[in-house]
Amino acid sequence: MLSQRPVSITGIGKTRFGVFADRDLRSLAVEAGTRALADAALEPDAVEALYLGNFAGPEFTSQNHLAPYISNALRMSGIPSTRFEAACASGGAAFFHAFLAVAAGVYETVMVLGVEKMTCQPNPRVTEILCGAGDCGPGGEMAAGSTFPSLFAMIARRHMHEYGTRREHLAAVAVKNHANGVLNPDAQMRKLITPEQALSARLIAEPLGLYDCSLVSDGAAALILSAAGGGRSVEVLGVAQASDHVALDQKPSITTFPAVRAAARRAYAMAGIGPDRIDFAEVHDCFTIAEIVATEDLGFSPPGRGGFEALQGTTARDGRIPVNASGGLKAKGHPVGATGVAQLCDMVRQLRGDAGPLQLDRRNVGLAQNLGGSGATCVVTILGNREVL
Amino acid sequence: MRTGTVYTETVVHAAPDRFAADTPYQVVLVDLDGGGRVAGRSCGERVAIGDRVVELGPHGDFLSFQKL
Repeated sequence: MLSQRPVSITGIGKTRFGVFADRDLRSLAVEAGTRALADAALEPDAVEALYLGNFAGPEFTSQNHLAPYISNALRMSGIPSTRFEAACASGGAAFFHAFLAVAAGVYETVMVLGVEKMTCQPNPRVTEILCGAGDCGPGGEMAAGSTFPSLFAMIARRHMHEYGTRREHLAAVAVKNHANGVLNPDAQMRKLITPEQALSARLIAEPLGLYDCSLVSDGAAALILSAAGGGRSVEVLGVAQASDHVALDQKPSITTFPAVRAAARRAYAMAGIGPDRIDFAEVHDCFTIAEIVATEDLGFSPPGRGGFEALQGTTARDGRIPVNASGGLKAKGHPVGATGVAQLCDMVRQLRGDAGPLQLDRRNVGLAQNLGGSGATCVVTILGNREVL
Repeated sequence: MRTGTVYTETVVHAAPDRFAADTPYQVVLVDLDGGGRVAGRSCGERVAIGDRVVELGPHGDFLSFQKL
């Protein structure tokens, strides 16, 4: 980047995540956006651009042209309003590009909003829509009958083969995130599970069972990004986006994601710190194995050790590096386009000391990792207070 | 027919409608002996990582493999 000035998150707002038969996509987005404006003490006309993260609104709801559809409903009329699609990293991609514009001095104040309305479609159709984030070409992974659970199941199988990771390690991630979700009043799934329940659950794609998979959810999250800091604002210390092959079969290794490693490397360099300075993290646990691989790619665990460390409690609320204290996608819910923004909202609450029953003791610097597809897009963001570094 | 080695695999139990009648079915990534890795289905006996497989030829719009 040629020039760059400090950028902070000055307001956050989320809806609850869950199954809301009576709520449409726009009403969810408006609720989150309105809350973010109120939290930042801003009127709608102070917002200069809307960066919308949404994966598949047209497929789920038939509504396209979503960004102006939402900005005008929020009375932010006339401003540039654009939808960003990067599969499950759509929210993170919107955030990354919003950050660039504010850091470069194009805008003073913008809104980043992520939303997905999924539960209006039956589960097999949801599975099919999500398949669009993989390689759908003839002779490719999706033509062979892959689903997203099956892509991550193949990653899990390979990780087990190369490193001795076991189903007990996957279950430990599910048990932890469910326990964290119980503390989160906004979580979709507030239910403790035992390792035995996780291990005996209905199989989705072997070796992944029901509790290895995140949820199908409706929800929205929004934040205000501003060149003005102060007050309860939290600074963006580092943020980077990277990409890789969409098809799993094109990756030389499937037990590590180069896009995650590249985004993390750049975000750490921008913040001027390494993984040892991260107090807590929200990572993209679309499947339990994804959290294990993420903790390795982000430098919290050596390669192959993520599952062992999850079982040992390293990533628990009271562990060395708490991961997904919010409950993660597993328990909190995963409205795809909202997820990357929601991770940042949850981190801001921790960094403000405002996380209620979820509050962690060590909370000066947090990292969020938002993954798209089977690793073809990754956004890594580091938030905190520069004074404590 | 091309031959190769199973790089990874899964058995799919929950599928979109167009594949639902096939469940449970096995999806594999195969490292071909001639180079390259491809996605496909394993037909017949289930295979594991490291198993040797042979391509059965095009089956619809995906590749099919069988254990050697």
